[in-house]
Amino acid sequence: MSKDNGSSVTYKIFSFVVLIILAFLFIFPLYWIITGMFKPPAVINSPTPQWWPHEWTMRNITELFSRRTAPLFSEIALRVPGALRWLINTVFMAIMAMILTCITAAMAGYALAKKRFIGRTFLFSLIVAAMALPKQVILVPLVREISALGLYDNIWAVILPTVGWPFGVFLMKQFSEGIPGEMLEAARIDGASELKTFTSVVIPMIKPGIGALAIFTFINSWNDYFLQLIMLTSNSNLTISLGIATMQAENSTDFGLIMAGAALAAVPIIIVFLLFQKYFTKGITMGAVKG
Amino acid sequence: MATVQLKNIKKVYPYISGEQKKSKKKADDAPKKKINLQITDEGVVAVQQFSLDIADKEFIVLVGPSGCGKSTTLRMVAGLEEITDGELIIDGKLVNDIPPKDRDIAMVFQNYALYPHMTVYENMAFSLKLRHVPKDEIDKKVKEAAEILDITQYLNRKPKALSGGQRQRVAIGRAIVRAPKVMLMDEPLSNLDAKLRNEMRAEIIKLRKRIDTTFIYVTHDQTEAMTLGDRIVIMKDGYIQQIGTPQEVFNHPANLFVAGFIGMPVMNFFDANLVREGSKYFVEVGGYRTELAPEKEERLLNNDVQSQPVTLGVRPEHTDVSDSGVAATVEVAEMMGSSVHLHVNADGHDVIIIVPTIEMKGNYEMGDIVHFSFQGNVAHVFSKDTEKNLEF
Repeated sequence: MSKDNGSSVTYKIFSFVVLIILAFLFIFPLYWIITGMFKPPAVINSPTPQWWPHEWTMRNITELFSRRTAPLFSEIALRVPGALRWLINTVFMAIMAMILTCITAAMAGYALAKKRFIGRTFLFSLIVAAMALPKQVILVPLVREISALGLYDNIWAVILPTVGWPFGVFLMKQFSEGIPGEMLEAARIDGASELKTFTSVVIPMIKPGIGALAIFTFINSWNDYFLQLIMLTSNSNLTISLGIATMQAENSTDFGLIMAGAALAAVPIIIVFLLFQKYFTKGITMGAVKG
Repeated sequence: MATVQLKNIKKVYPYISGEQKKSKKKADDAPKKKINLQITDEGVVAVQQFSLDIADKEFIVLVGPSGCGKSTTLRMVAGLEEITDGELIIDGKLVNDIPPKDRDIAMVFQNYALYPHMTVYENMAFSLKLRHVPKDEIDKKVKEAAEILDITQYLNRKPKALSGGQRQRVAIGRAIVRAPKVMLMDEPLSNLDAKLRNEMRAEIIKLRKRIDTTFIYVTHDQTEAMTLGDRIVIMKDGYIQQIGTPQEVFNHPANLFVAGFIGMPVMNFFDANLVREGSKYFVEVGGYRTELAPEKEERLLNNDVQSQPVTLGVRPEHTDVSDSGVAATVEVAEMMGSSVHLHVNADGHDVIIIVPTIEMKGNYEMGDIVHFSFQGNVAHVFSKDTEKNLEF
């Protein structure tokens, strides 16, 4: 074996070891939550950790779905467990945020990339600058604005502020830059209106970008604990992460229950990520290369 | 099928705020690069004083170097660029402010501009669908066009599964399927390799016979212009230099630019003297003297041209190696098969002489001294001041 081959094998072994350690560090909390939700409270609270549950129980899950009830929808008398309502709220919030962000960002990104209008560069600079703005900075005006609109403690209070996400506009602009100008001109000559050009030519061409943005928005909205904490208060309006937090406050010792809630919050997002992983990574790399 | 009239068309790209200073500075910094752009206070002038009457079913070729305004002119006809000044009339109707879709034109782009997510069929049917043409009629028209262009077997493929030549056929198909009044082509063959370009050129000639519509074709390749056009419009710096049939512009170039641009290899130019003796005209160059042909003399006489130093132009194919004439030193002899392109230096001027292989008496070596001459009917005399052909 030559020296080169030897050093490359050592390098490979070293990278594998580092990667395995990192993977373990990331996977372990998830493993602990998922196994923890099936452990009885005594085992969870015992000072000696049980790495693999000896005794499996569904108690935590049944407990999670039997605590506190809320109406299924705002005006409906049918009451369901709070956790289910929170889950519905969260899914609704994430999906609406995803759809609205994708529509607005795709339109804005396309306009910024392909249309010539006065103040275009300034507007784009403003959007890029907004990307650097921490959420906390705009919090007070945002809460006031939402209150003025009468949306405080309403699920739309956590949807609307995420629409028009500057990063989304930026990403869509980068993707739209790749559409050849001639193609849009060909559409104009073919007789397509502005809207038809957008829906029949532009959208299909930036589809991978929209896919990536959809995943980004879904995950971001799902995980945006901070905004949800500020905007939502009543039990029937909570999202799953807020719901778990309130449970934690009420039942600080019932870790099994909290772990069941945490698993419920984490599992859908992991499934979404695994399903759309391709778009997710593509979105990141394309933004990086073209940006 | 329609007539197209362009009356004194002008195109100025106005400055967007703050750009004026930049452009002026750039123009000063790089005068060679921006030589074709005319920077004025109102903006960058791309085309001016463009007047042309295109007859029904005529094939017009706009040709010129990069930045001469030919594509801008075509885009103005298409409606993709606003016309700053002048009138554009298609089929007797002023269309300056009419959007592209209502002008009944179709355009083929250099990079094909096919919709990548649609199949060939969908690409060709797109414009008809937008015009709410019934489905069975769309089907019939697309299949007819595909038949003409021999792309029937590719109708269900996406553009990425096609070669460059096939894509260009689809792009042409997309244009002809609508049977437009005017067909516009913007350097449609530039992206193809040399062999395919020759094939497609022949295809366009055949196509033209079949679809019988008015064509406006833009190219920077003078061979394409010469082979395709009924008339050629040669442009430079936004101005028309000459309009004429291929034969006219080849045999009677209006100025030094046209003479140098049309023809391959390029025309040889010499510093010479035009001598008028009564009603006769002679050119003298490097001790060689020949009388101009009677029809040339007549035109010069009509213009009352006097004896003067001129730029003399003679095409390489009209320059003959002879026993007497202008002396020159051989630099390179390029064997082209049926002829040899002899690059010689005559008194500091590079000159190309085309010698048919069958007339060659021996091989030419570097440093050989040869003499060349030309006839009076192929000599073009251009004014030193205006660069115009003195016969015009």
